[in-house]
Amino acid sequence: MSSAMDVDEQAIDEGLYSRQLYVLGHEAMKRMAASNVLIVGVKGLGVEIAKNIVLAGVKSVTIYDPEPMEVQDLSSQFFLRHEDIGKPRAEAAVVRLSELNAYVPVRNLGGQPGMEITVDSIKGFQVVVLCGASLQKQLEINDWTHENGVHFIAAETRGLFGSVFNDFGPKFTCVDPTGEQPLTGMIVSVDRDKEGLVTCLDETRHGLEDGDFVTFSEVQGMAQLNGCEPRKITVKGPYTFAIGDTSNLGEYKSGGIFTQVKMPKIVQFKSLRASLKEPEFFITDYAKFDRPAALHAGFQALSEFKAQEQRLPRPRNAEDAAKVLALAKTLDADIDEKVVTELAYQATGDLTPLAAVIGGFVAQEVLKACSAKFSPMVQHLYFDSLESLPSTLPTEADCQPVGSRYDGQIAVFGRQFQDKIANFREFLVGSGAIGCEMLKNWSMMGLASGPQGIIHVTDLDTIEKSNLNRQFLFRAKDLGKFKAEVAAAAVAEMNPDLKGKISSKQEPVGPDTENVYDSDFFASIDGVTNALDNVKARQYMDQRCVFFLKPLLESGTLGTKGNTQVVVPHLTESYSSSQDPPEKETPSCTVKNFPNAINHTIEWSRTEFDNLFVKPAQAVNAYLSEPNYLENNLKYSGQQREQIEQLVSYLVTNKPLTFEECIIWARLQFEERYNNAIRQLLFSLPKDAVTSTGQPFWSGPKRAPDPLTFDSNDPTHLQFIIAAANLHAYNYGLRGETDPGVFKKIADSVLVPEFQPRSGVKIQVNENEPVGQGGGGADGGDANELLKKLPSPSSLVGYRLNPVEFEKDDDTNHHIDFITAASNLRAMNYNIKPADRHTTKQIAGKIIPAIATTTSLITGLVCLELYKLIDHKSEREDYKNGFVNLALPFFGFSEPIAPAKQKYGNTEWTLWDRFTFNDDPTLQHIVGWFKKEHNLEITMVSQGVSMLWSSFIGKKKSEERLPMKFSKLVELISKKPILPHTKHLIVEVMVCDEEGEDVEVPFLVVNL
Amino acid sequence: MSVSPAVLRRLMRELNELQTSPPEGIRVATSEDNMLDVTGIVEGPEGTPYAGGYFRVKFMFTEEFPAAPPKCRMITKIFHPNVSSAGEICVNTLKKDWKSSYGIGHILVTVKCLLIHPNPESALDEEAGMLLLENYDSYCDRARLITSVHATPRVRPAEFDKPAASASPAPTASTSKSASSKSLSASAAPGGTTENSAPATYPLHASTPNTCTLTPSNSSEKPIGKERLTSPAPLGTANSNVSGTTAAVPAAATTTRAVKRAATGGGAGAEKRKKALKRL
Repeated sequence: MSSAMDVDEQAIDEGLYSRQLYVLGHEAMKRMAASNVLIVGVKGLGVEIAKNIVLAGVKSVTIYDPEPMEVQDLSSQFFLRHEDIGKPRAEAAVVRLSELNAYVPVRNLGGQPGMEITVDSIKGFQVVVLCGASLQKQLEINDWTHENGVHFIAAETRGLFGSVFNDFGPKFTCVDPTGEQPLTGMIVSVDRDKEGLVTCLDETRHGLEDGDFVTFSEVQGMAQLNGCEPRKITVKGPYTFAIGDTSNLGEYKSGGIFTQVKMPKIVQFKSLRASLKEPEFFITDYAKFDRPAALHAGFQALSEFKAQEQRLPRPRNAEDAAKVLALAKTLDADIDEKVVTELAYQATGDLTPLAAVIGGFVAQEVLKACSAKFSPMVQHLYFDSLESLPSTLPTEADCQPVGSRYDGQIAVFGRQFQDKIANFREFLVGSGAIGCEMLKNWSMMGLASGPQGIIHVTDLDTIEKSNLNRQFLFRAKDLGKFKAEVAAAAVAEMNPDLKGKISSKQEPVGPDTENVYDSDFFASIDGVTNALDNVKARQYMDQRCVFFLKPLLESGTLGTKGNTQVVVPHLTESYSSSQDPPEKETPSCTVKNFPNAINHTIEWSRTEFDNLFVKPAQAVNAYLSEPNYLENNLKYSGQQREQIEQLVSYLVTNKPLTFEECIIWARLQFEERYNNAIRQLLFSLPKDAVTSTGQPFWSGPKRAPDPLTFDSNDPTHLQFIIAAANLHAYNYGLRGETDPGVFKKIADSVLVPEFQPRSGVKIQVNENEPVGQGGGGADGGDANELLKKLPSPSSLVGYRLNPVEFEKDDDTNHHIDFITAASNLRAMNYNIKPADRHTTKQIAGKIIPAIATTTSLITGLVCLELYKLIDHKSEREDYKNGFVNLALPFFGFSEPIAPAKQKYGNTEWTLWDRFTFNDDPTLQHIVGWFKKEHNLEITMVSQGVSMLWSSFIGKKKSEERLPMKFSKLVELISKKPILPHTKHLIVEVMVCDEEGEDVEVPFLVVNL
Repeated sequence: MSVSPAVLRRLMRELNELQTSPPEGIRVATSEDNMLDVTGIVEGPEGTPYAGGYFRVKFMFTEEFPAAPPKCRMITKIFHPNVSSAGEICVNTLKKDWKSSYGIGHILVTVKCLLIHPNPESALDEEAGMLLLENYDSYCDRARLITSVHATPRVRPAEFDKPAASASPAPTASTSKSASSKSLSASAAPGGTTENSAPATYPLHASTPNTCTLTPSNSSEKPIGKERLTSPAPLGTANSNVSGTTAAVPAAATTTRAVKRAATGGGAGAEKRKKALKRL
């Protein structure tokens, strides 16, 4: 990596950029690799932008900021240190920025203190970003960039306010406005007339919008549509759209696939000078519709104030604020005075969450300017989070700078609130992408830096190469170390006040670690922040937070999309109250016999991978190591024979002794899958088969396959052999081989048995005779014979196979190679367009696309909510859930939803309520209590997954269980002892009222 | 796995319901120590080659349930176009047509319907699919053989000692939450009758277990239900129950035979064969 200073445009380090490539694509990244970016001003906002761009990978990043660093910079500049005070900012920051990505050189443009950037020095850059520059300077630079084809961005944060201006020139071409996959689908008819109505197969919505473009393939009859120039469509219904005049084309017969074609979009930008007068606002919060106009004037007024006074307005100083307001009113007489006054009050404020939000956003705009990927923001963005201010506003005196690193935050929130931040106690679950950004923000905020404060952070993972692209606290030297440990050390170095304040752990959260994260642990924290990558752990933490009544900050990203959710006890619903619909699965018959898209063949080949290299070896090991494995497994009917067959095959008949035998095995696997199985399918269901209504069986979504004939000169055929043979060898601990010549020679010499169709048709000859024994016998009759071939476990003491552990990110282990080749061969069978290795890897490995920009923005939003939690805000409308998509771009905010109310008797309750029973009562006691106190009859009782009691278990069981202590009852039914650290049990009951109607009641907590 | 209390509560409710008033021909077995260990038992519908058999469906709940369907596997061997040799069941309900309001009961009713209306167009077992398309009698014989060997126990599973809900009037009325009731009464049954409109006046017996209105996998495209009706497929049996013996001629023979076997206790012949085949 160290020698790669000169970026070869063709070679993108897929190991490093893997997750981001799934967001941006190779084309966009190649264009980025040709772009030089200049960032002027590297306080908190500038360094956040620079960090994200360096991680993303452009040709070079140059920073300019010759001003000497001051202590207040440490409020948000995470790449400056106390010992850098007095040094030029750019000079101090350039070293740490350079460490982020060996492929991206970071340079310091130099300059002298007091010297502002000039037009002369920006030549040679494709993108120029000004951070916190005066309006005069912005205009001067932009006048030149607008005329000279240089992309220009000006950005600024003031306290809880942020602003961005974009000018990518008068005619900017955006090649992919949304970044979404092109839509595609099967069609069943095209009208031959002026309108050209296209009807889609079945009930699959086409998802197109008016003005989209499509082209076609595989259309029968109206063949002129195949590969036609993109045609603009009008939507006629969810399953139909019109493509315009088709009357001079052939008559449509059948089949066909439409595919959306992304058309470039031209965006026209005004210069800043023109745009100031006629601004076009990008709305970030529709609840604050008139705020952009106020802030448009407010930010200009601030710049004017600074020009006049040579300083910014003092924190919460009424006199200065009045001057700013007066200046703003000369621009726009009707502005919201309160908002502009707050802007003036907070002008010296410098908050890291705001820098993260605006810095993440601007960095993505820089990448758009470089790559033409995604729609740029047009043209002014104004953002604020005034709701984050404490309910009791700080006084002017409280906000005065004290010469500390937190002065930028004190200017907004005051010293008293800074104290609350310093003594907060938070649990961060996960130290990956979101976790790293969160810790960075927290360390700048001084969260937990006080005597009472503490941050707990846990992550079970160790650092891998593909993490380095966005988990920016990690370096190449940290590979293999625990994430939480490295991250904690990195941010304690950023802000030494946190030394000894971060407790890092490796125990993942879950039912097995409730002795670590127990009642005492939860009692010792103020809240939980999730930084997780899976639903299961999120749901678990949500449950725990509901139980312990702790607020939870939840967030997630998917490519350029992200969301945040704040959960406050009693005030909002919890994370699990709503659920995203999961991806729809493909029916198994589609995968097994009727694939029609590449994701079907990839799913198939991912399963084949397990069936060939994982499960059989596991079964063999289980057979050899578990006593009575066969007996225990044979209890499940249906699969015994197959299981024994497999054991015999892997232990006896197909056990290779040399690598050559692995190649032969692979060649036969090829034949079985891509020739024999297909011929068998066609034998059962010939190409001319018809359904009971006389329709061709192979039509619509069912594509008739063709068998493949092995050809060692076909690279995909050979790739299959190479990967399969090596993986088979791995199972048996044999040394692999990669020289294609070896594989070719052996594979070509394998004698392949001629295909014989299997057929069960013949079994029934005579009506009265029970069906022949041949057919049935094959299902179980000779299993005993098979068993005789199986060596006993005692004859193979210590012998084990090596089951393959699927690892998608190792390019040398043949895993993705096998899945790609296996999937593409099947795609050839079914005449489906194959997919490259990169695409296959994403689908097979279920890789979530990710990019640092989104993460940075999302964690910034989370921290803006954290301020509110620290303030103990008690109104639901004080909080905001956020949704963003940087590609469009789009910001949306909504009030959290209130918890659903339910009722028993006259008592309303929500998910936050519970009944508490102390001293390990008997079941009888609980049943009696409900009867006596609420006149409710318990009909069923469960704890965890155990069904403890129900009204229909019978008298005997009932009499036995009712008088039992609750803990004993649970131990009896669950067949597991209650662990010593368990202090309470969560119990669910079903109850009904006097009329026998079911009534919903809260859960029960039984304290032991 | 960690299942949220809300989901457990829902499961508890449904299991309770399935225990106390199960749908016709369907029962559920679960264990006290693990509610998530659910096995459904579907009685082979009379008039189909599966009659006399009891087919076990194993449920696996993921943390995404009920947003995502549970994973279901037929653990009783069966010869059926839509069930693979490994027990995968190809029904859209379990994949793309899943709705979070569906439950265990709905899935089992769907599987029962699949036994009545096998769907060769979405074959997992292509041999069964082909037989069903080309030679219905052979398909029935093969299916019946496998049923008698692998699915017909000496004694009826104890779960079936409890009566079904349909024995009592308005079985699903009280359970508006269970989605199965919705789709069950959604459209007219293929046989021209529905469970609701089949009172005890019909000659054979009170219930008409073969009524089925759920459409099996991949068949949502076209009115397969209707299409299958016109074929001499097992659907005729719904009619045959109603009108005695005057069902579609080609189906009549197999149907009555199957009914007869089921009626005579179903297992005697099978027992012998089983021994002969050295069933494991």
